[in-house]
Amino acid sequence: MVQSRAGRGAALARLALRIGGRYVARSPRLVFASVERRRELRHDLALRSADDVAEELGAMRGVLMKLGQMASYIYEDLPETVRTTMGRLQQTAPPMSAEMAAGVIKQELGAPPEEVFATWDPLAFAAASIGQVHRAITRDGRAVAVKVQYPGIARSITSDLRNVSLLRRVVGTAFRGLDTRSLVEELAERLEEEIDYGLEARSQELFASYYDGHPYIHVPHVVPELSTARVLTSDLVAGSRFEEMQGWSQHERDLAAETIYRFVFRSLYRIHAFNGDPHPGNYVFHGGGRVSFLDFGLTKTFTDEDLAPLVDAVRLLVFDNDAAGFRDALERAGFLRAGAPVATQLVVDRFGHFYGTVLKDRPMTITPEYASAIVRRFFDARSPLAPYSDVPRAYVVMQRINLGLYAVLGSMNATANWRRIAEEIWPFKNGPPSTPIGEAEARWEAGRSIAV
Amino acid sequence: MLEPLARVYERSVAAEPADAGLFGPGCIVWRVHRDRSFPLAGMRALMVQALHPLAMAGVAQHSDWRRDPFGRLAATSGYVLTVTYGDRVAANEAAARVRAVHKHVRGTDPETGLPYAAEDPDLLLWVHAALVESIMTIVQRYGRGLDPAEADRYVAEMVPFAEIVGVPREMVPRSAEALNEYMRSVQLVRITEAARDAIAVVLDPPGLDDDTRELWHDLSRVATGTLPDWAREAYGFEMPPPEALDREYVRQLLGALDLAFESLDGVMEARRRIELRSRS
Repeated sequence: MVQSRAGRGAALARLALRIGGRYVARSPRLVFASVERRRELRHDLALRSADDVAEELGAMRGVLMKLGQMASYIYEDLPETVRTTMGRLQQTAPPMSAEMAAGVIKQELGAPPEEVFATWDPLAFAAASIGQVHRAITRDGRAVAVKVQYPGIARSITSDLRNVSLLRRVVGTAFRGLDTRSLVEELAERLEEEIDYGLEARSQELFASYYDGHPYIHVPHVVPELSTARVLTSDLVAGSRFEEMQGWSQHERDLAAETIYRFVFRSLYRIHAFNGDPHPGNYVFHGGGRVSFLDFGLTKTFTDEDLAPLVDAVRLLVFDNDAAGFRDALERAGFLRAGAPVATQLVVDRFGHFYGTVLKDRPMTITPEYASAIVRRFFDARSPLAPYSDVPRAYVVMQRINLGLYAVLGSMNATANWRRIAEEIWPFKNGPPSTPIGEAEARWEAGRSIAV
Repeated sequence: MLEPLARVYERSVAAEPADAGLFGPGCIVWRVHRDRSFPLAGMRALMVQALHPLAMAGVAQHSDWRRDPFGRLAATSGYVLTVTYGDRVAANEAAARVRAVHKHVRGTDPETGLPYAAEDPDLLLWVHAALVESIMTIVQRYGRGLDPAEADRYVAEMVPFAEIVGVPREMVPRSAEALNEYMRSVQLVRITEAARDAIAVVLDPPGLDDDTRELWHDLSRVATGTLPDWAREAYGFEMPPPEALDREYVRQLLGALDLAFESLDGVMEARRRIELRSRS
């Protein structure tokens, strides 16, 4: 009964996928993971040793949970999953004991937390991906959130990720019809990045410094001298979490949705960066449309060349009504194989759905049903385009946030003239402010260019 | 295949036990019996237990395990869990049921021509020892580990486990060394047709879908690779290549399987109850 390693992988892969789905489908009460909820963190079950961590998250457990979570972002009915999936990994893993967290601080920052900080809260107040977050006050009086990584988790994730053939099969099953090789490379790369808080610190600073002084968008700054590969210290943000905001008036929710939309597209077009984790737990709401954005562990940056065909695609479809040109842009970006034997009108119909919010100059409500329909259509393996379409590696993260964004806006039932807002941001348009938030943003931007 | 096991798991770990049962906080049995390598230990235990012709004959002639192997596995697993994590009343009731069934399990083994009775303390001790030795071996190799002192403690703490089904206390090994000594001392060990039959089903149980079957094969191969040489040779299993027995690789397999199990209703909750009770 000799079996190839690949054969073994296949069984596991399918199993893992089922796990992902099943895991994700359960536990709806523990949604949005990084929410401040000390009470819901199971401190009574705290992990007390590196061995405990290895038991909880080693041996493929952490990686498979993460893969299940990622698969669910893209694979299923998104608005449904966005409520139930996120942060299963975080919620499953109990927090570290106070002693173990203090041990990480001592190892990383050279002294116990009571010495490094003026005040240190020994109990975590939030779960984070592969770690947890503590409140502290620095010696010079800054209130900060300190993200502390589980000891040993980086090593075990790296080792599990080395089993590439296995992972490729997991993803191959989850994302049928897509290029599994590039997807796995992308996902593995992202996970590896996620375990290095140093990269996240740099990404977060990129966003934080760009949005400095923005009237509606806030990204907390990193405190570099208190950050390492395993510890990330940034300014503390206080505000309302996603579910709380969901109880606000529709007007308030529309304003918040507008800011989220602006943040995503402005970041892409102006700083060429996407924060790839479309997780409602990563937003903190302050009312009146002001939103703070947290967690930059999955940031992707783009070059002009990466973006050019996408910008062209929008321009050609939305403004020039040039179907052939639109198709050509998609082919250049790699979304569609060149010379695929399908009618151009079909390409426009299929891919055009993604541009549904900006096709018409009028207010539009993104309902949960609309959001799911987009996702379903996009991943319809029976589509005549399926054999020829692909998500090029450079855009995998963008894909995730796009779908995640629709899910979030859909669950907020948000209404706006998205087209007008997009026109403000598209570099080839530079449209005038179309809303009060837009006006404030324009003033900020004007002041910003003077300052620079 | 995992669902019946999950239901049993949830039921056997009572939410509000009347007392700490046969073991209790601070014992090592509670920790060892929730190790993620437990399925592997169980598989190996079956392979060793079947090597006693009289123990095997009792199963072959009196149990309907063949009709529903996973139901049977769930029942056995429920017994182990109840005696481990249940209160005293639950543990004793479970043991009383087993003893009641054993009363009627008697006959003659066709191969050796020897009579057997399931109540026979010698047979019960064999079954107990094979289980304890398998758990010890597998948890040392693929689980959280057991240092020599912990292994001794585990074997000693398990004495009541044998006692409640009818093995006189003084017969039961109380240290790892005594346990190994006992295993070597048992003379009547050989492979019978009944054992070959039974283990063929363990290696390739009916009703698994293709995915699960491959995973099952991988794990059962690991189990054969951890058997004592004499047992593996008795079955005619080849020694698997070292990479198939690699700790990290096997832990990845077990981790995936365990995650599938834990994702079933009630399992995580039961595990948390165990963890909280262990800490109290």
